[in-house]
Amino acid sequence: MDKKKKKKFLIVWAAVLVVLLVLIFLMGKPAANTETLQDVMKDGVLHDHNKIKALGMLMNPSVIADWWIMGILLAAAALIRIFAVPHFTEVPGKFQLAIESLVDLADGLARQNSPHRHKFLGAYVFFAGSYIFFGTLFELFGIQAITTTGASVSLPSPLSDINAAIALGCLSYGVIMSGGIAGNHVKGIGLTLKEFSLPISMSFRLFGALLSGLLVTELVYYSISLSFVIPVAVGIMFTLMHALIQTYVLTMLTTVFYGEVSLPQPKKAKKSKAKPKAADIAA
Amino acid sequence: MPLNINLQQILLHLFNFAILFGGLYLLLYKPVKDFMDKREAKYKAMADEAAQKNSQADELKAQYQAKLDQADQEIALRKKTAQQEMQDKLSQEEADAHQKAEQILAKARREAEADKASIMEDASKQIRSLAEDAASKLARKSVSDVYDEFLNTADTAADGSDSSAVKGGDPA
Repeated sequence: MDKKKKKKFLIVWAAVLVVLLVLIFLMGKPAANTETLQDVMKDGVLHDHNKIKALGMLMNPSVIADWWIMGILLAAAALIRIFAVPHFTEVPGKFQLAIESLVDLADGLARQNSPHRHKFLGAYVFFAGSYIFFGTLFELFGIQAITTTGASVSLPSPLSDINAAIALGCLSYGVIMSGGIAGNHVKGIGLTLKEFSLPISMSFRLFGALLSGLLVTELVYYSISLSFVIPVAVGIMFTLMHALIQTYVLTMLTTVFYGEVSLPQPKKAKKSKAKPKAADIAA
Repeated sequence: MPLNINLQQILLHLFNFAILFGGLYLLLYKPVKDFMDKREAKYKAMADEAAQKNSQADELKAQYQAKLDQADQEIALRKKTAQQEMQDKLSQEEADAHQKAEQILAKARREAEADKASIMEDASKQIRSLAEDAASKLARKSVSDVYDEFLNTADTAADGSDSSAVKGGDPA
């Protein structure tokens, strides 16, 4: 970009910002918050106030967020499957390389931490990683939903709901236990049950990490004066970091424990019950 | 429940997870993984084939090298044998030539001896013949001369004895 074009771009950009600011302030005083900050924070943690009715049931917004994420990911996967995968070449292009890298990342993590049994684990890591990463980024889009009270809420990251975090934590624990059973049969259950705190720690780690992000975001957006510039760092940077870190942590923990409990245990040598002979004792 | 933990919500999430897991596995993970595995298997097969061909080539090279070494040894052996044969042949030929020369020389000597003997015989015959001729010639020519000479000699001798006797000399 030469200097002239750069100057033109900066002028247009500044003009757009000024116009938007003027419009924001011309709108007058924003509507007063119907909820107190305490209510917002409490609802962020507990999701006990804003419910959404769907399929004849009252659901937390995180379930609706799940549907969105599920729809987007499955639609993207279907499009890739239909339009891209049949045209994959042995020497990959940029898009193919990106897709292959994602698959290889999941498979590589599973292979690295559980080299003896990793086929199913790779698929699970791919699913869990995709869900956590894109689910965390989902809150950036601010998709609205109408609650039973008629209020509009921004759909949160699903894992900021303790129920989703518990579901994913328990599912990961179940996957680890399935690896234990596949590798060591009944003994594998025992090996997995030794780590009984794992589902709780995984669930609450996810919940805590994403909840903290949610609370900070709620806090920032509660006040109109904080809604400028700050969300660029708070909203996007923190969310991206959360997405990456939590994806890495959960997939890593799952694969490490899976590899540990599915590793075939050596059989202990049976103790000899034969009594020592008298001659041996005398000797 | 505390923290608004709700089993129904958990099950709803698990239901969503099951759908998402199955969908992502069937639509994306498995086809891409299959493609990557096939490609890996293909390149692994190619690498194995190349390694096998390489080992075969190495084996062939070793075989050819062994054959070359064997051929070199055979060539050297044959060269040595040929040199030996040539040397033997040369020696043989030299000996034959020497023997032939000896034979020629002996023959020449014998012939020379024969010639010499023949010549000597001829010469002696000729000499004898000449001598006989000469003798006969001499005999024929000078019987009278000899007689005359004898007479002269006798005369001379007679003259001499007379003069010595006169002078008191030796009567012989």
